[in-house]
Amino acid sequence: MKKRMKYRHAVLMASIATTLLVGCNANATKSNSAAAEKAPAPAAAMAMGPAKLEPLGLPPIPADNKQSPAKIALGKLLFFDPRLGGDASTGCSTCHEPDQGWAWAEDFSRGYPGTVHWRNSQTIINSAYNPRNFWAGSASSLEKQARGAARGGVAGNGEGDLMEARLALIPVYAKAFKEVFGDETPLIRNAWRAIASFERTLVQRDTPIDKYLQGDKSALSEEQVRGKALFEGKAGCIQCHNGPMATDFNYYNVGVPPSPRWETDGLAQITFRFEQYAKGQTQEGYRTAKEDWGYYYRSKNSWDKGKFRTPSLRYTKYTPPYLHNGQLDTLEEVVDFYNRGGKFEDGRTTNFTKTKSKLIKPLGLSDDEKDELVAFIEAFSGEEILMEKPELPDYAPLFTKAELEAAQEAK
Amino acid sequence: MGVRVKTGRTLLAVALGLSMAVGAAHAGSYPDIGPLPQIKISKAKAELGKRLFFDKRVSGDAAISCATCHDPKQGWSQNKPLSDGYPGNGHFRNSPSVVNAVHKKSWFHDGRIGTNLNDVTRENITETYIMNMDMRIMQERFKQDPVYVKMFKDAGYGEPSNGSVRKAIPEFLKTLTSRGAPFDAGKMSGAAKRGLKLFKGKAGCIQCHNGALLSDGKPHNTGVAENFDVFLDPMNHQAFIAFAKFQGIPNYMNMKRDPGFYNITLDMADMGKFVTPSLRELKYSAPYMHNGMINTLAGVVDFYNRGGGKDSRKSDRLKPLKLSKKQKGDLVAFLESLSGDRLTSSEHVWSKSYPDEYPAIQNWKEARN
Repeated sequence: MKKRMKYRHAVLMASIATTLLVGCNANATKSNSAAAEKAPAPAAAMAMGPAKLEPLGLPPIPADNKQSPAKIALGKLLFFDPRLGGDASTGCSTCHEPDQGWAWAEDFSRGYPGTVHWRNSQTIINSAYNPRNFWAGSASSLEKQARGAARGGVAGNGEGDLMEARLALIPVYAKAFKEVFGDETPLIRNAWRAIASFERTLVQRDTPIDKYLQGDKSALSEEQVRGKALFEGKAGCIQCHNGPMATDFNYYNVGVPPSPRWETDGLAQITFRFEQYAKGQTQEGYRTAKEDWGYYYRSKNSWDKGKFRTPSLRYTKYTPPYLHNGQLDTLEEVVDFYNRGGKFEDGRTTNFTKTKSKLIKPLGLSDDEKDELVAFIEAFSGEEILMEKPELPDYAPLFTKAELEAAQEAK
Repeated sequence: MGVRVKTGRTLLAVALGLSMAVGAAHAGSYPDIGPLPQIKISKAKAELGKRLFFDKRVSGDAAISCATCHDPKQGWSQNKPLSDGYPGNGHFRNSPSVVNAVHKKSWFHDGRIGTNLNDVTRENITETYIMNMDMRIMQERFKQDPVYVKMFKDAGYGEPSNGSVRKAIPEFLKTLTSRGAPFDAGKMSGAAKRGLKLFKGKAGCIQCHNGALLSDGKPHNTGVAENFDVFLDPMNHQAFIAFAKFQGIPNYMNMKRDPGFYNITLDMADMGKFVTPSLRELKYSAPYMHNGMINTLAGVVDFYNRGGGKDSRKSDRLKPLKLSKKQKGDLVAFLESLSGDRLTSSEHVWSKSYPDEYPAIQNWKEARN
């Protein structure tokens, strides 16, 4: 009885999640250690409802930031504009390159000049569906993600007043902000809104898995269908990778070891310590941390050390490397990692053994089964979404010389 | 005159002034114009400050150092009207020489920092349009450089930290104190001596340019023309807008002039006032004025000879001076006698190279961060 109650709660949670993606996440998070760790066995989960794959619907549009063609067009320009960063060399697209899966194809995101980031850059594709963004979910909306990334010391390192001043000096933007937002002069917070609107158009809903789940049984190969059965059964991926985005948006420690780069790369060591500092570590935590504490930085609960948000499996064909610190280069390696129960080939795993998810254990998959699983995971990706970078509008003086001369005369 | 004389030192100045018989209209009413006081300097801290001053890793994208805009070869300033600012933007004011900065009581042309060089250092490093550095990253950069780790320790600061950077750079700036100026050494030419007389007398410069720095440290409106490049070049204008917005200046988007000291009081009476600059070490730090609008010292003397520029709030101390050509030349000679050694040897300039990359800390997993 008690058990059933819990499941009913989970069903309720799932239905809220699908209808009201934003807002329910805090609850989902709180129930993490209880509900997620004691999740039912995969077969049972399928029967109960929540752990199920679904086709991707339309992206949720926040009531306070409706879509419009003009806003999307503006957001596209801003997304590619490096002037929304500190030294005008880093924009959103700098770490979210369309031809690198709208991400950055190295283990760590490239970071602001003079720095390197410490986590893997995540794809923009389908980010519209994420209730929270960043690997530990620190941004509660796409708008806030854009703002946070543009300002972060090892990301955009931009400052609001200066970025806003730049927008005012670009006539195309001044006109567009007025039309779209009614701004007398562009407001930086509306830049983040326009960028989020553009990002909400970068969705992919016609993948083989979407077609298959909508009834087109020919959309998956036989190999992929076998992979699906493994995904939902023996391999148990479905326990976390479920729902329309193939993620429960929850936080887990799956056993990813710390990046070896922190042992050998001075620049990465700088960022590592900076992040401890910036994320509000204790003095002792700052002195002793040797891996990314993940969700702990937000919750400050010891049981959240080393937990990261379940990433979507959509579009992953184009977004190597994988994991929050980009340590695995192929989907095959990722499957191997889980098949070993959350361990690398050389035996490395998380040092946060106490928080490691009980859901992760050796799977005993055969080579064929692993191939089938990889083939199925590829069904979450459709065609590659490419986009030519738009030509960016130029600066122009705000005043004429005659106006300045008149002001000088009037002094 | 009597009411202004408050200290023994000033009395001495008055006595000197009178004995030298330079006094005309303004003689003796103002603090003595020299020499600068001696300052005690910690060598290890100053040496650390010197390395920091020339280190590009002090800026956000590691592209510029303090010395980029305060270049020893350019009079510890920049020989262009407007300072470079941070990559990606320009600036809206002239970079002042940092020689003798330690002797000032307030800093920046509008005097907006009136506490100490520790705050000035912080302001320059973190300000978005100047060095745009997140000091938390800066601290970690320096903890990654073994040379710094040793220098901070030797200086008594312990491990590299933001706070120590803000102490060490001011300690280095103490070493940038004028020396060898003919004026201080009593080796002025005849023309310079005549210029000094005019300075204190007919030309009235002494009214604002007094004390050891030849500055009263107060803001005045002299009617310097606006530098239109501030507003016509979007790179400079964006820095101005960001500055003016942050400072809370009303209607900053439509502002077509530099508000100067108004920035601090928001009182229209202070519109266009700028803090009297020191006249020491001018020889190498052209162009002049807060916005670099005048190229030569002769041009500056001409400007004041005309009674300054045009501004309805201009100081009433400024009136046409009716100086002859020879008198103007004498005044320039005096101004030049206030410049001494260029301080460009390795005593003041960091001449060793910096590492190209940060060495990894060995044994990282075991080492305490």
